[in-house]
Formats: sequence, structure tokens, C-alpha cells
Amino acid sequence: MYEFLAQNPLYVVLSIVLICWFGIGLYLVRLGRKISILEQRMQS
Amino acid sequence: MVFFAQKYFDKMGKIWHRVCSMEGNELINKVSMKKFNIAVFGWLTVVMIAALVFPIVSKPEAWYDFPFIPALGEQSRILFFHVPTAWVTVVAFFLSMVYGIKYLRSNNMEDDIKSVSSAGVGVLFCILATITGSVWAKFSWGSFWNWDPRETSIAVLLLIYGAYFGLRSSLEGDEKRARLSAVYAILAGITTPFLIFVLPRLVSSLHPEPIVNAGGKVHMNVTMLTVFLASLLGFTGLFAWMFDLKVRLARLEKNHHP
Repeated sequence: MYEFLAQNPLYVVLSIVLICWFGIGLYLVRLGRKISILEQRMQS
Repeated sequence: MVFFAQKYFDKMGKIWHRVCSMEGNELINKVSMKKFNIAVFGWLTVVMIAALVFPIVSKPEAWYDFPFIPALGEQSRILFFHVPTAWVTVVAFFLSMVYGIKYLRSNNMEDDIKSVSSAGVGVLFCILATITGSVWAKFSWGSFWNWDPRETSIAVLLLIYGAYFGLRSSLEGDEKRARLSAVYAILAGITTPFLIFVLPRLVSSLHPEPIVNAGGKVHMNVTMLTVFLASLLGFTGLFAWMFDLKVRLARLEKNHHP
């Protein structure tokens, strides 16, 4: 795995980009859920 | 054949009428924002993988080959990230202007919330476009900032929208703030296409324009164009996702501190 990544630096970039992207996605999904809970509380 | 065509157009007409008669929020609810967000996430993940993994070769033969672009090489992959962020900036500022006009016509605070939320997301993407362009410039032009017409115009745009938020925070009273910032959003929105599309083309620039649209024509091979358009679509979807969250958050804030 390490050797493959060392020989193909583009895959290193891809993995970093995907880690960042999944982090941002997770953050947005969690934020959306929290807002939904607050909206429900406000309505009730 | 004519019968089926008539039936098809009749059906399409009915769907279009239903869509037009819906309110914006109702339409979004119908489509279901949750499913839309998941689709955007999956779409952009695939686009990112394609944009970074597809090989750049001097003579593209396979369907997944990107062509080698002289003077850019591997750096041409920035196209799939930098241009969509600049595109979303324009969309967001345009939407902010549209909701500004809507507010002035209706005096509905909901339109003010949408106008400021759109401008907020627009500024975020404008900063991202500036940073990605600046990093690229360091390795292509030799320094992070060169006062190239593109860089200057985006810096001016950031200042204009920085002043928009400065104006909003300096005003007291919801009505007054909403009215003045709606007028400012309209004026700022008018300057956006001028600063992004017109000004950088009036003066000579080092920006690699010839790849995207030299002489108003798109010079890209099919694979590159497909991934590029998919990226534009995905980033526009990401904007819609973030815009929805920001509007809902602003509504909650408004209800909590009326």
C-alpha cells in the first residue's frame, strides 16, 4: 500500500481530498440533522 | 406518432403548470432535500475521483484519458475545482440580487433571509476560488499574488461583498437593514458579471483562458468537458445544500431573537 502510494502521488492527493470531502459531508449532514431537531422543537 | 406527441406535450404542460404554481419551499420539499443532498454528495465524490485519477496523456485514446495541455500539465486538474467555485460565486451573488429585488417588491423578511444567506455562501466560495487560484499561481506564475486582472477583479468582488456585510452589521432595525442591504445586493449583483466575465477579457491576462473558451468557444476534449460539466453541476448542487442549511439556520436565529 505504502509503496503504491509512494509511486503514485496522485492517489495520495486523492485520498487527502476524499478525507476532507467526507469530513465536510459529515459536518453538513450533522448540521442539517441538528437544524431539523431545532425546527421541530420550535414548532412544538 | 402525432397522437403520442400531443399526449406527451399535454403531460409535460400539466407538469410544468404544477411546478410553476408551487411555492419555492414547497417545490424543494417535494423533491426532498435529504435525498437531493445524498445525491449531491455521491455525485461530487465520483467527480472528484474522476478529476484526480483519470490519467493525463499526450495522445488521448481511451474514454478516460485527459489530454496533456502545454504549460499546464498535471496542474490542469485545477479546472475541475477552481472554475466551479468561481461559478458558484456568480450563481450565489445573482441569487442574492434576485431575492433583494423580491424583498423590495414584497417586504417579506423571508426574502431578506434568503438574500443574505446566498451572499454568505457566495463569499465562502469566492474565498475558495481566490485561494485555489492563488495556490495555482504560485506554481505557474511564481508568486501567490500578481495583480493579474483576474486576481484584481476577484479581490474587488470580495471587498464589495465584505462591505455588504459591513453595511448589514452597522444598521439597526430589521426593516431598514433589509431594505438598504437589498438595494446594495442589487447594485453588487450587477457588478458581479462585469468583474468576473467582462473586465478580465478587456485587458490582457496570464489566466489560462484559451483552454476554457478562447474566442467564445470551448476547447476541451470530450472526457475533460464531461467531468468539467459534471463538476459544475455538482458544485451548484453543493451550493443548494449549503444555501438550504444557511436559510434554515437564519430562520431559527430570527425566531429566537425576533
